[in-house]
Amino acid sequence: MTTWSVEGVESALDRFHLGPVDLALPPGRVTAVLGNSGAGKTTLLRTLAGFLPLARGRILRDGVDIGDRPPEHRGLGYVPQGLGLFAHRTVERNVSYPLEVRGRLDARDRSRELLRRFGLAPLAGRRPVQLSGGELQRVALARALAAEPELVLWDEPWQALDVEARHALDLVFEELRATERIPVVVVTHDPTLAFSVADAFLILRGGSARPVTDAATLLAHPFDPFTARFVGFDNVYDPAALAAAPPGSLGSWLAVRAGPEGVAFARPLVAAGGAGPGGWTGVVVAVRPTPEGLAVTVRVDPLRVALRVAPAPGAAPLVVGAPLRFDVPEATVHPLG
Amino acid sequence: MSPGRRSAPPLRRPSRGWPWVALQVVLAGSLLLLFLLPIYALFTYASPAEILSAANNPAVREALWLTFYASGVAVLAALAFAVPLGYLLARHPFRGRSVVESAVALPVVVPHLLVGLGIFLLVIPGTPLYRFTTAIGFPVYDTIWGVVLVMVFVSAPYTVLAADLSFRAVDPRVLEAARSLGAGPATAFLTVSFPLALRGIVAGLLLTWARAVSEIGGILILAYTVYPGGIYGGPVTSTISVLVYNLFESGNLAGAAAVSSVFLLIAFVLFLAVRVGERSGWVPWRRGELLP
Repeated sequence: MTTWSVEGVESALDRFHLGPVDLALPPGRVTAVLGNSGAGKTTLLRTLAGFLPLARGRILRDGVDIGDRPPEHRGLGYVPQGLGLFAHRTVERNVSYPLEVRGRLDARDRSRELLRRFGLAPLAGRRPVQLSGGELQRVALARALAAEPELVLWDEPWQALDVEARHALDLVFEELRATERIPVVVVTHDPTLAFSVADAFLILRGGSARPVTDAATLLAHPFDPFTARFVGFDNVYDPAALAAAPPGSLGSWLAVRAGPEGVAFARPLVAAGGAGPGGWTGVVVAVRPTPEGLAVTVRVDPLRVALRVAPAPGAAPLVVGAPLRFDVPEATVHPLG
Repeated sequence: MSPGRRSAPPLRRPSRGWPWVALQVVLAGSLLLLFLLPIYALFTYASPAEILSAANNPAVREALWLTFYASGVAVLAALAFAVPLGYLLARHPFRGRSVVESAVALPVVVPHLLVGLGIFLLVIPGTPLYRFTTAIGFPVYDTIWGVVLVMVFVSAPYTVLAADLSFRAVDPRVLEAARSLGAGPATAFLTVSFPLALRGIVAGLLLTWARAVSEIGGILILAYTVYPGGIYGGPVTSTISVLVYNLFESGNLAGAAAVSSVFLLIAFVLFLAVRVGERSGWVPWRRGELLP
């Protein structure tokens, strides 16, 4: 079992600087790299995989720095965005590729075994263009595992997948984590999906990295507006928006609790039907049904606040323009910055 | 009553604008006539007997053999030299790339007689290149090497261009996946880049061959008559294009037309073979992917 760690890795491209990034990657840990487009997620993976030069820092495999080795000698499996399957090869010959280039005599047997394990045996003779999104994902993973990597780097696994296939991918990650005990670094811009598989989170923003945290810490301390929105806080306000609020309003109440970069709070829950006490009153501007009840947006001048109203069979429907009373529990309010 | 039995209402097609369609047919049709009428004239000027006798004439056969031989060597040279250049242009941004790209386009725009003259000036007796090529056994003037050299000069750009475009179309991420799976740069090229670009490269090689086989301008100066030597054992002959030119110059119009017809028939058969290959699945490409 191999232990990897990434220490102070930096990558300097033409107009972009990434890092320093520190990661501990013990066996079986899934680390999600989150961030918007252009945050440096793919740059980080390509730097670790050996396709971009390392400006500074070390990539350690069992304590040995592999930072100047070519990609084929790093012992890691990189699944690029779009999966990088070989269109001119069948599914079976995609999976056997890493074994073929190593001159392995058991290439055929070993790839067939992997095909069986991932339920791909009936598709062995097909070409990638004939497969569905979920099947392609499994081929990519089977091919990556055929190389017997000691670390898997996967760029946007959920891209272009339908709902069913996304669900199946969770099982694939379970396989990597539990059976193979391989550390995985997975890049995504979808925090909801990342939360469903990852143990640790690295957040990138404009090339700079926050210290790696777990999900609970991230939700309890969303350190800046970007992270707060990213992890699912619907109510995030910057100091400028709060400064415009009149005295005695929700805005000025939040301003007192805000940090230098503003404030975030989760959707307040309103009792069924919108009845009951509440410190603040808003005017309903949008109502959308969800499995957890109604997702409601109200206007509390000058703010817009997202709320959740518990399902209430038989209650009068909530209409746009109606007043709605709600509370913002102090414990759910997080200062940012 | 089942829905299928009901009579379908007439399809309501949007108007196509007949004057516009007619204009396109007239313009495109005129060009097609220009393409086809000369071929028709060639085939009908000489009688079938004359064409048959031309096909059996040893001098014509020698010229045909030389032409196909030299053009085949030119295609191999394009594969060996033009494909790497195309790869370089597609994959490695370097300083002065636009200069190289212009140089590649040069043979397409320069009159071919000038090409022949240029090479001639390089290799006439007394020049260093003359001494060098003679010393290593590749004399150029009036040999098959001269023919091949001119052919490569005028036709290789088509393969460079096709290879450049085809390699550009290969997703670099697929290559990165291959590298990460254990392939070195050369292995990744041979197992991924090249097979994925092969279709375009073969299409380029076909164009290169077509251009090489029809070359005359440069050959008139550099290898008007081809003497045995190097990879060509003889006899003394000339390329088919020069042969036709000679027949025409000497006033033998029927002979020129007959030889042209033989050459066209062979080219047509080769064209057909590629088509059949595309259709049969012998080659991994579908109809229309290699030849237009």
